Amino acid sequence: MEFRDYYQILGVSKTADADEIKKAFRKLARKYHPDVSKEADAGARMTELNEANTVLSDPEKRAAYDALGARPQGGQDFRPPPDWNAGREYSGGGMSDAEAAGFSDFFSNLFGESARRAGGTGGAHRAEQMRGEDHHAKVVIDLADAYNGATRAITLRAAKLDASGHVVNEERTLNVNIPKGLKAGQHIRLNGQGSAGFGGAPSGDLFLEISFTPDARYRVDGRDVIEAMPLAPWEAALGASIEMPTPSGTVQVTVPPGSQAGRKLRLRGRGIPGQGSNEAGDLYLEISIVLPPANTDAARKIYEDMARDMAFNPRAANATSTQGAKA
Amino acid sequence: MSTMNMTIFSGVIVDDATLTIQELACACSVETTWVVQRVSDGLLPCENPAPATAETNWRFTSAALIRARRLLSIERTFDANAEVSALVVDLMEEVSALRSQLPKRAAQAAS
Repeated sequence: MEFRDYYQILGVSKTADADEIKKAFRKLARKYHPDVSKEADAGARMTELNEANTVLSDPEKRAAYDALGARPQGGQDFRPPPDWNAGREYSGGGMSDAEAAGFSDFFSNLFGESARRAGGTGGAHRAEQMRGEDHHAKVVIDLADAYNGATRAITLRAAKLDASGHVVNEERTLNVNIPKGLKAGQHIRLNGQGSAGFGGAPSGDLFLEISFTPDARYRVDGRDVIEAMPLAPWEAALGASIEMPTPSGTVQVTVPPGSQAGRKLRLRGRGIPGQGSNEAGDLYLEISIVLPPANTDAARKIYEDMARDMAFNPRAANATSTQGAKA
Repeated sequence: MSTMNMTIFSGVIVDDATLTIQELACACSVETTWVVQRVSDGLLPCENPAPATAETNWRFTSAALIRARRLLSIERTFDANAEVSALVVDLMEEVSALRSQLPKRAAQAAS
């Protein structure tokens, strides 16, 4: 397994005291917290920081980690000394099984089993029987999946005890039915797909949080969908009947004469489909006006004719407000 | 080791079936007292939260589950008290809502 240098991850020296470790962790956690970070690998870095902090902020784990010695040279696989963990006791894991599931093989091999023996669920005492912990995962689906429903393969990584009682990280793939009508931020709950229970108690559940793949064509607000509808100037000015591709298929749209950019046309019930007692959302087509380029003599002449023949000042409103301000 | 399971799993959609206080506490790996305190302080939304309503009748949506996990994450990571954590989460939710209203290019520039 690959050695993890927890001091390097937190950017502290091996002699750092508890306060220095706490400050270093919080500083980096601000930078990499996945809810606010702009870094692409924020989620992975935050898991790494949590792992390092779990070990270095716990005096028992830190002492055990320090006893391992240094990182092996030349990219060799790391193996802890045979009697490294003999006689060590841990008073509590300080993290849940679900949280530790994302930690490295290095952590699982060194602390997983011991933490479990000591009741590693946030310091709670392990009862004779205890329901397995719930797990969480995020699932990114296309907007079309919310309209039509889909089946998605979801790969999950979780720490489990093998037949000999050792902790191993296991990957599994679940094929999950995504029902139509889901909104971003909703959860699908899969009963019994979390951690295994203890002492014959039932397994925990798996919560899948839904989000949508970003798509430049759409914005989504609950079950309402806002789609940009580019129009040629003459379609907006004179009105038109146009074919418009939407998430639920191409529709014929009547554009009223005099349509301005920014105005929205609502197609009732053509947003994300309803679910149970909830009604379907609406689709809003937001008008934008795209100018044809003046890159030929003919095109330039049309613009010149318009400039000459149409008494049109698009800044008339600005001029009025400026006069008002002066007065 | 990768295990391909060909069974197609169909789950329950949270909101069609809201979570009880026990279920929310399990989903967040906290005691129910953590939930009770935050609902009582108005930091976590729930249905039927009137003081006279028994806690067993409280129900929590998907949005409440996301908020509870964010509150917990901020509290644990920064040793923050519940009110400060709720303020941070309020701001996160506000930024997220505003970004979702921006056209894609503007949202990328703002992020």
